[in-house]
Amino acid sequence: MLLFRSEEHIDRWCAFRELPRGETMTPEQTWQLAQGWYGDKLRPGWRRKTVEEAEATLTSIGLTEPFWRLRG
Amino acid sequence: MDAVALDRAVRLQVFAEVAATARMTTAASLAAALDRSPAETEKALRRLAASRLLVLAPGSTNVWLAPPFSAVPTDFKVRTGERTYWAICIWDALGIPAALGQDATITTWCGDCGDELRLAVRDGALVRPAGLIYFGAPAARWWDNIGFA
Repeated sequence: MLLFRSEEHIDRWCAFRELPRGETMTPEQTWQLAQGWYGDKLRPGWRRKTVEEAEATLTSIGLTEPFWRLRG
Repeated sequence: MDAVALDRAVRLQVFAEVAATARMTTAASLAAALDRSPAETEKALRRLAASRLLVLAPGSTNVWLAPPFSAVPTDFKVRTGERTYWAICIWDALGIPAALGQDATITTWCGDCGDELRLAVRDGALVRPAGLIYFGAPAARWWDNIGFA
């Protein structure tokens, strides 16, 4: 997951490498995701999220398209 | 200590050390800290890697990733008040201040033009966020190549 200046920069990067276009998140969404994913990582009681919980974390920040589903 | 308890102890020690020092521990250091044999500790690291709780460097028991922390410098530098951490992607880079509960400044580069880009976390909020985060692979395939996703 890379940070780019803008959509235009992403499109140019994908075109140059002949890669299919993926999807984007805003920094705010990614910060929310990072907090949901890693906020408890150092706590002794941490446990791995279930697939359902992980998908719920993604959908909670507005990522509802098939691209963001963890089950293929 | 059974394998489940040892794996948990190793995992907690790995994360506690990297969080506190910004340096990834070693199997030998873990063995000494937990008063276990190096062989037992290495087996625990391999089990944790098989469970995708850690990622080991190829052909070794050196911890490469204890997500969100990377053992080696990358294009995602995370500077907190006292320490410099590294992450393999912008999501993990933001995961470090999230896990530590600390302010941080993340320095990276635009994947296209190479210009320096920064994100800052202050008091639990992102300050003047700019740019877009790009995911090349769909979520179901992230673990196919976690270093590239």
